[in-house]
Amino acid sequence: MLEFIIPNNIVCHAVEAMLFASVACAVLSVIITQVQISSIGFTMAHAAFAGAAVGMFLSLNPTVCSIVAGVAVAFLIGPLSDRARLSPDTSLGLLFGICMAVAIFFIAYMQTLGQGFSAMGLLFGDVISLYREEIYLLAVICIVAIAFIVVLYKEITAIIFDKRIAESVGIRVKPVYYAMLFVIALTVALCLPIIGGLLLYVWLVTPAAIALQFCNRLSTMFVVAPTVAAVISISGALVGLEYSLPVAPLTAVLFSAVFIAAVLLSPRRRVTFRKI
Amino acid sequence: MTASDPVIRLENVYTAYEGADRPTLTDISLSIGRGEFVVIGGPNGAGKTTLLETINGMLHITHGKAVVCGQDVRGDGVQVRCRVGYLLQNFAFDPLTPFTVEEVVLMGRYGTIGLFRKPRTEDYEAVKKSLHLLGIEDLAARPIGQLSGGQQQKVLMAQNLARNPEVLLLDEPFSNLDMFAREEINRLLARLVGSGITVLIVSHAFDDLPDRPVRVVVMQEGKIVVSRECPPKEVEQIVRNAGKGPSHA
Ligand SMILES: Nc1ncnc2c1ncn2[C@@H]1O[C@H](COP(=O)(O)OP(=O)(O)OP(=O)(O)O)[C@@H](O)[C@H]1O
Ligand SMILES: [Mg+2]
Repeated sequence: MLEFIIPNNIVCHAVEAMLFASVACAVLSVIITQVQISSIGFTMAHAAFAGAAVGMFLSLNPTVCSIVAGVAVAFLIGPLSDRARLSPDTSLGLLFGICMAVAIFFIAYMQTLGQGFSAMGLLFGDVISLYREEIYLLAVICIVAIAFIVVLYKEITAIIFDKRIAESVGIRVKPVYYAMLFVIALTVALCLPIIGGLLLYVWLVTPAAIALQFCNRLSTMFVVAPTVAAVISISGALVGLEYSLPVAPLTAVLFSAVFIAAVLLSPRRRVTFRKI
Repeated sequence: MTASDPVIRLENVYTAYEGADRPTLTDISLSIGRGEFVVIGGPNGAGKTTLLETINGMLHITHGKAVVCGQDVRGDGVQVRCRVGYLLQNFAFDPLTPFTVEEVVLMGRYGTIGLFRKPRTEDYEAVKKSLHLLGIEDLAARPIGQLSGGQQQKVLMAQNLARNPEVLLLDEPFSNLDMFAREEINRLLARLVGSGITVLIVSHAFDDLPDRPVRVVVMQEGKIVVSRECPPKEVEQIVRNAGKGPSHA
């Protein structure tokens, strides 16, 4: 799609993929951090990772398998907490452990079978060997994530404000909440192949954390987070490919650096200092 | 529905919290007419908050019949909540909460605006009006987290008035208010009741109730033990006496 600016096909595809993935993850990161469901996001990312590993081992479509696993986790948390009399936090910890165990078992096993190369992509991401269809799919999920927020803006912001107040003003909180988890699960599953299961979480939290340093309105956060994420991710892809560095890990490091700089420069922090 | 029909009618209602093995409210029957002012008293844990959330359909009714504003609460609580204001007990917001007062008050209309629709001029006008009713127009652009507890409570009150509710459920609305604010809110409530709105208020302070007959409801251990009309100055005595009643003997 961006061939007219970036003539090199590989670089062009990598930039497109990083752009769509980072924007989708970043708009959702605002929801994830503000509704305080980061541990759910975290666990879903790893479930998607485990799903992909199992799918790859069984020669099934890894993307479909990660969608199924991510969605399954989202809908398992509630019932698991009730049945096993665990706090949601503990059940998330458990699910996270199980997902990692399954993923690592299959990846290690595939390595002993000599299929290790593709499995490593699941861990650290791979922006080079992408099919055109995969990029289209990323563009679609990016649009879906943005449309989801635009269309349900009232409901989502009310839930961010407070779930019980949202319910008391007559919003159907449960369906919107589960739709949120579903869109997150879809996004996570589709971004997994390019960012990798170990680093995906950086994309799902850091953009909002950076935006939070400068914004005190939700609406600006929904714009600043994806903008910052897109700039960082595209820079990561361009620099990484130019100097033959691993793209996703490099970008994750960039994210962290920007976050630290943002915290140091944050106007909100200065206000806090002045108050004390 | 005719004007004389009760606006809230509960018949042998049982309410249970999710995961609880027995109902918290048992066998509640209550009938409240339009424009009544109801004071709900009773000790901590008696089920006052549970009663309010039963009326607006936020909790699961296991048995019985509940009709509020002509709507079956067990059928679609959302329809009920669009017409009933509910001020939650003890609310405080973090200083970093990314919402302005105006946004919070507008949120009160989100249910009535409906899914996939945007707020319109009339919605913003309702926000202005209810900010004015509570005398907090000057706070409109402030982040809610940076207001005092009492100011935050007024904002939530304005949020509930913004959707022109037929019924107002208030759970200890005075807990953070200074005496002037209390008197102000009481005058406002008296006016609302005068205009036909039904007000149910959970409170532990009965000194400045509006100067008109009120209904006092006393709860104990998930049951209603008193429900009757009386002049406002007798409310405290009735709640006190009920506290000394047989269930404490
Ligand atoms: N979320 C909950 N899950 C299970 N039980 C609950 C829950 N909230 C309240 N209860 C129980 O329901 C009973 C009634 O509680 P409720 O909050 O209605 O009391 P209250 O009369 O409002 O008390 P207070 O004056 O302290 O506000 C209590 O015994 C309490 O233990
Ligand atoms: Mg209570």
